[in-house]
Formats: sequence, structure tokens, C-alpha cells
Amino acid sequence: MQPKLKSKVRCTDREVGEVTRVIVDPLSLEVSHIVVGGNGVGGAERQVPMSEVQSVADDLIQLRTTSGALAKFPPLKRDEYVTTHEVEIAHLEDRLHVESGEVLVPLPTLERNVPRRTFFTNLTHAIGAFVALPFAFPVLKYLMKPMYAPFDNRWLKVGNVNRIKTDDVGVQFKYKKIVKEAFMPEAEVDKNVWILKASPAVLEEVYKGKDMEFRDQAGRLVWTNKKDIPYVVFSGKCPHLGCGYKWRKVPKLGKEIFLCPCHLSIYDPSGKVLDGPAPRPLDPLPIRVDAAGNIQIIDIEFKAGTKAQTRIV
Amino acid sequence: MSAQPNLLEKVIAFVDERVGLKTLQAKMLNEPVPGGSRWAYVFGSCLLFIFIMQVVTGVLLMFYYVPSADHAYASTQYIIHEVDYGWFILSYHFWGSSAMVVMVFAHMSQVFLWGAYKSPREMIWLVGLGLFGIVMAFGFTGYLLPWDQRAYWATTVGVEIMDKAPIVGDFLARFLKGGPTPGQMTLSRFFVIHVMILPATLMGLAGLHLFLFRKAGPAGPFRGTPDELKAKTDYFFPRQVWKDMVAMGAVFATICSLAFIEPVVLLEEATPDPGEYHPEPEWYFLFLFQLLRLKIFSGEFGQFLGGVAIPGAFMVLLAALPFIDRSPERNIFKRPVALVGWILIMTSILIFTVSAIINREFLD
Amino acid sequence: MTAQPSQLSPVKLGLAVAWPAFWTGVPIKIVLGLLLLAMGQHPWEFPGLAFLLLLSIPVDIWAVGLVGRTVFLERLGLQPPASLGLTLWWQGAALYATYGALACFLERQTIDMSQSVAGKIMDIGLMKVLPVAERISIELVLWGSVSAVVLLTLALGGLFLFGKLVQWQADAASPASAPYEARVHQWDLMRVPADQPLMLTVFAATGVTLVLLFWAVMPVTTPHPHESYKQDEKKAAPALKPTEALQKAERVLTQAEASVQALEAKAKKSKGKAAAPAKKEAAKPKKA
Repeated sequence: MQPKLKSKVRCTDREVGEVTRVIVDPLSLEVSHIVVGGNGVGGAERQVPMSEVQSVADDLIQLRTTSGALAKFPPLKRDEYVTTHEVEIAHLEDRLHVESGEVLVPLPTLERNVPRRTFFTNLTHAIGAFVALPFAFPVLKYLMKPMYAPFDNRWLKVGNVNRIKTDDVGVQFKYKKIVKEAFMPEAEVDKNVWILKASPAVLEEVYKGKDMEFRDQAGRLVWTNKKDIPYVVFSGKCPHLGCGYKWRKVPKLGKEIFLCPCHLSIYDPSGKVLDGPAPRPLDPLPIRVDAAGNIQIIDIEFKAGTKAQTRIV
Repeated sequence: MSAQPNLLEKVIAFVDERVGLKTLQAKMLNEPVPGGSRWAYVFGSCLLFIFIMQVVTGVLLMFYYVPSADHAYASTQYIIHEVDYGWFILSYHFWGSSAMVVMVFAHMSQVFLWGAYKSPREMIWLVGLGLFGIVMAFGFTGYLLPWDQRAYWATTVGVEIMDKAPIVGDFLARFLKGGPTPGQMTLSRFFVIHVMILPATLMGLAGLHLFLFRKAGPAGPFRGTPDELKAKTDYFFPRQVWKDMVAMGAVFATICSLAFIEPVVLLEEATPDPGEYHPEPEWYFLFLFQLLRLKIFSGEFGQFLGGVAIPGAFMVLLAALPFIDRSPERNIFKRPVALVGWILIMTSILIFTVSAIINREFLD
Repeated sequence: MTAQPSQLSPVKLGLAVAWPAFWTGVPIKIVLGLLLLAMGQHPWEFPGLAFLLLLSIPVDIWAVGLVGRTVFLERLGLQPPASLGLTLWWQGAALYATYGALACFLERQTIDMSQSVAGKIMDIGLMKVLPVAERISIELVLWGSVSAVVLLTLALGGLFLFGKLVQWQADAASPASAPYEARVHQWDLMRVPADQPLMLTVFAATGVTLVLLFWAVMPVTTPHPHESYKQDEKKAAPALKPTEALQKAERVLTQAEASVQALEAKAKKSKGKAAAPAKKEAAKPKKA
């Protein structure tokens, strides 16, 4: 029990006064001293450590010493202390119980009715929930506007087949694509694809006996690459993380392959992954070649890093 | 009483042990409102609500708006015409700014009429005047951002008026314009002021305003015996909060309605030549704009007088108000000077605003 | 406001009921108006207006009743009679239809007359020399002040008559003997519904329904597009008829195969001509 302010202080022989103040240790949050003042101590308030206290009752503190010995305790040097209102000590109120009563403030009469209080609490929450709720859906759609842009299925001219001299050799075709983003003026971006004239064996690897279909977001067929057409175009982006890859001769293997410099994915001419972190083979794109040998492609981009082929552009 | 506290109760107890959450909540919410919660007290909370909604819609607009002279107009048009519900977000932001000005006038009037600027609430009043200035600055800076004819020319005229201030006028005008004439520099400066500097300042001052208000306690009604006040006193929560909520809901619905009735439609893109367009500021500056058309304010000194000196003097008067008016009487019906003064000011503003609107026909 | 029940003048009484009742109904009516606007209707034109007026009836009856009961208890110290709201509402509606219509007419007349008189005054030589801005303001003050005074008088008259209607109800009411504090409690607790969960559930359900309706009807693109804004024509993917294209390709292929075979046969016959690879080129499908 903590000593209470204003409780009487008794020495072994007689009552000596009352607890005028209490001193708390700021680190341990425990009462370290009581200050005894009042009658019989010759004026000065004496600072008595708690070790001298024999027992603490609700209104009486019993000290071990005699009243005569009380004078040897030092007087209180008030300047060396501040009140608990002047310094912030964490959790002090929780630990300190030196007042012998409570200070109370009456609840306003209107607030004493519990059903009333709960009703208005709930109604406030209910109205609050609806105040800005009408914004939720429009805001979501507002922010999502550019996220799922419709696919651009334009045919783009990339070059002529007369650039391809040999079978199963990758030839890079660079082209420019006009893009218009939102309100920005039209801009030209440089893109590239790899086209090779595939021998029947390679063609079989690429198509695996089936025509390749390309669809739009609604699932409608946009184009079909027939499996007999020997020209195959691969997207210029590596399916691992989207880097641009190259066609290289590998002296050790004695053959030519597609090599991605970023993380060293290696693909054979049919796009099959020979080595490296690529999750899927190179992505073929829709291609058509007219009678004069002009090649057109649809620029499709697929999500990088996944096994499944998901069109994003 | 549940035998075992559920998860939510455990979490709350955990936080409460460390933060004193329950006591803090009680202190915040159980503020006694003498004389009971009142609808007349909702304007301050409504202002806070409108401000928060402006921040939300403003941030959303920033997802698509580009503050460069090349793209400001195109990006704003994009928001209006292409982005799903973009027209609604922008129109809400636009009408929200008007609502904010109306609410500021309502709140200031309520505080004035209730005499709640008097001792010991002088500091709250002064901080409030600062907030008023910030709200007007918000309206002024935001208006330029769409970069259409209306925006460009309203800003040009407005900054020219500022130029008339003595000594600092030219410096101030050049600082705002970022040069001798309005251009990209102006747009950049207005954007950063509108989007960073003013919001930070407003949040700081609003926090101070609330803190000072809690310290001083609500002034309460200006009439009523202590018994009546005691009988009707209730706590801030739930009753006043509920009234605040209803008012916020009504304000929200009103702004949404205005957004539907008159969505934002831009004029042509800003050009250095005003052409057929007659420059005009936003509606809440119209009374000043009309005032400056009067003959007595013609000429350089006249424009300074009407555009800077008189409004400035009026603001100084408002600031000095709690120190001039020391009478503790708060009943408006017993403060004839205050009542008549308020009516006169409000009526004058109304007359000049309407005159400005009528004046438009004379210009065509 | 005093703790003792008081006799209020008719104007004060009318104001004491009409002003709060009006504002009590406003939040609900604004929400209804907003819904109408989201649907593309104008709440100030028919048919939207009819819808709004119709729904306002129960709202107004409830609002007038609630406010009436409060005023009776707190300020008049009287027990509110049964169906006070309904009675005051239909009487008020009758008053509005008769006096209200007359007042509107009178105000219109006043405005027209004062505007023409003010116009004539401004045409006097003395006034004509004033510059435009001053003239506008002076003319506005001239007709505006007259119209405002007449409007205020008519409004006070209306409140007076409404106050009389309220007084009529008050005269028939029995006094409430409870002290001030108890009477305040009585009207305060009147606002708490008997069945809270039900009321709150209904409120929440209505709110959710209205919000969902709002989302469903509100226009996605601006209802007022700018006249010179060119909507980004989404380049319509060229009308693809995939099956047709495929069939065409098939036909070309079979034709090409046939011609290849024919040529190969020919080549075999005329040995030495390495024509096969070249013929493969011909097997390319024509443009779809």
C-alpha cells in the first residue's frame, strides 16, 4: 500500500504530524520518501525515507524511530523538486495512488440514458459510413482507367523477306511504331522483332502441328498463323524479363542460337529454351507476307516471367 | 459480459495498455457542450470535411493532371472526357472549393454573431483569420491549373491587382508569376503552392485552431440561465458528432448535386490574346472585382486603394476585433454595432457580387 | 429561451416550428434530388419535381411533427396533441397554396414594378452621367431594397399565419406539468426509437440500396462534353472475318499445293531443273 497524502504520521512514542508531500523515484516509479510536516516537528518539513516506515495504513503511517530522532532527517529542499504536473513521466498515473479519494464530475443528465447514447453512437457510425461511400466505386474505376487498355491489332510493316538469305537464321527487323498515350501527342518508338525462315524441322518445333491463333480481350480470333508458312517472327522481348536478345554463333556448340544478355537465357532457332531462367519459349507473333515479300506483323507483347503466355499489349 | 475477450477486445486492450487509448478517447469525445449540441456549431466540422474531400479529389486529379503549359489543358480535358467518372471527380473538386468559401463565411459569421471571438478566444480567432486567407489562396491558385482562357486571364488580372501593393507589390507579383508575364513558371509555382505549401500550412493551422479551441472550451449559446444550460448540456460525442455527420452528409450531397447540375466545362486553351473573352475571377472575388470598376478607384492610387488598402484595412480590423471589443456581452441582439456591421458587410458583398453579374451583359 | 413555459408571439412561434422543420427535411430531400440528378432528371422540372414533391410529403409530416412536439414541450410547456405533424402539415400546405401563391404573385409584381421604376429613375439626366458600374449598383439597390422589404414583410406575414395555426393547436393542448429538465428529456428521448436494431438495419439497408442505385445510374462520361473535343476514336480493329480469311487461305494453299505438285511433276520430267524450292514461295497465302 502506498502512503496517502494527509495521513497521520506516528513515531514510536507519539504522533508527529501528517504526510504533506510524497516523493516518487522517476525511474522505479515507487514512493521513495514521505515528507512529514505539521505539528511537533519544529517548523521544517522533514524528508523521511520509506525504509524508516514500519507500516502503512489508510490514514496512519507508523515510523520506526522516536520523535526525538526525527530531527536528524534532512529538511525538504523544495527547490530540488518539481511536481508531477511539470514533468512527463510515462505511466506514472497508473502506478501512483497517493490520493485517498477520487475527484468526480457528474455526467450530464442527458447522457445518463444508455439507450439514447448507444442509438446516437450507432446512427452516427451509420451515417458516417454513407457520407463518402458514393465515391468508392467511381474512384476505383477512375484510377483503373488506363490499366487494361484495349489491344492494338494494327498490322505494321517491318521489312522485306529479301533480307533473309538463309534458312534457320535469325534476322533482326527494326521498325518504328506510332504510339499515342492518353492526352500526349503522338510519339514514335523504336521496336524490333526477330524473323527467320524456318526449315520444316524448325517449323514443326514452333507450331507442333497446330496453327497458331491470336485472340483479343473478348476472346475473338484476330489472326491465325498457318503452320505451313515458313516465316516465323518472334517478339523482340525475352520472355524472362523483357530484355532485348540477340542472335549469336556459339563456337563451342558450333551452332547459332538466340542469346539474351541480361540473364543468359539461350533459345534455339525454334525459340525453345536451351538454357537459362526463361519460363517459356520465345513468343511468336502474327505474321503475313504479301506477294512482293513485304512482311507485316501485329505488335503483341506478352507478360514476362510467366510460364503461361498472357497478352498485355 | 463475455467470459473470454474476443480478438478485437484483446487488440484494443493491448493498445490501451501502452497508449492509454480509453482515457484518450474519453477525453476527446466526452467534451461537454454547454447548452447542448447545436446545429449552429456544425460549420467548423463541415469545413474540415470539405477540406478532406478536396484533398482526396485533388490527389485523384493529380493521377492524370500534368502541370506543364503543353499538357495542362489536354490532361484536364482527358480527365473530363476520357477517364471513367473523371468529370465527376473534377466537378466535385471545383464545386467543393466554392462550398469551402461559403462554409468559411458561414463559420466566421456564426463565430462573430455568437461573440465567440472574445476573451479568452482571441487566438482562435486570429488563427481562424489565417485559415480564411489560406482558403482564398487555395481558390486563387487552383483556378489557374486547367490553363484555359478563363483560368489564365482571371489569374493575370488577380496578380495585377496584387502588383498595386506599395513597396512589395511588384516583387510579390513577379514572385507569383515567376517572371514579368504569366507563363510556364507561373503554372509551376501555382501548382506547388496549391498542392504542397497551402495544404501543409492549412493542416498545421487547423490543428492549432482545434487545439486552442479545446483548451478554451466551447463558448456555448449566448442566452440561457445556468439551469437551462445544465439541463441541455450533452457531450460532444455522440450528439454533436451526429449533427456534424448529418450536416456533412447534406454538404456532400449538395456538392455532388452541383457537380451533376453543372459539370466543369473548360473554355478554349489559354492564349496570350484574350480575344472575345472577358476576364473574370471566381465568384467569391467578384465583389472586389466590381468594386474596382467604380470611378473612385480609378487610376493607380485608386486601384491600390480599392484592391489592396481597403480589403487590407478590413482584414486588420477583423484581426483587431477581439482587442477592440472587450465587452463580455455575447448576445448579438444586445450588440447593435456588431449586428448592423455584419448585416452591412454581408449586404454590400451581395450587392457588388450581383452587380458584377449584371455588368457582364453590358460588356457583350 | 426560458425555463418557464412562455407565450410566444405568433411570428416567433411560426418561426420556431417552420425554421427547424425546413432544415430537418433538407438533408433527406437533397439526397432524393441527388438521385434524380444522377438519373439525368432535373429536380426542379417535371417529372422529377413531381417525384420530389410526392416523397417530400411524408418527410415534411414527420419533420413538422418532430419539431412541433419539441417546441410544445420545451418552450410552451404543453403536451403535444396527437398527430400534430399531420395536422400542422396539411394546414400549412393549405396556407402555402393560398397565401403562398398570393405572396409569390405580389413579390413578382413588386420586382417588376420596382425594376421599371428604378430603370426610369436611372434615365433621369442627373443619373445618366454616372459611369456604368455605379449605375448598375445604384439601380440594383433601388429595386433590390424595395423588393427585399416586401419579401420580408410577406415572409413575416406567412410566419404570422402559420404561427396562428400552431397557436390553435397549442390552445387545445393540455399543460405539461413536469419541470424544465424533465420536459427536455422527454423530447430528447422521443428521438430514440423503440426498436433500435430494426431502425438501424432499415436505415443501413436503405442507404446501401440508394448508393448502389446511384452507382448504377450515374453517367460514366461527362454529360456536358466540350463542343470541340474530339473523342479519341478507338481505332476499330478492321472488320475481321476470321473464318472467311481462313477459308480463303485454305483455298489458296490447296491451289498452290496443286500447282507445286504439277510443277514438280514437270520438273521431274525435265530433269535437272531445280524449281522445287522456288515453288515453295508460291505457297505463301495471299493477304487475308
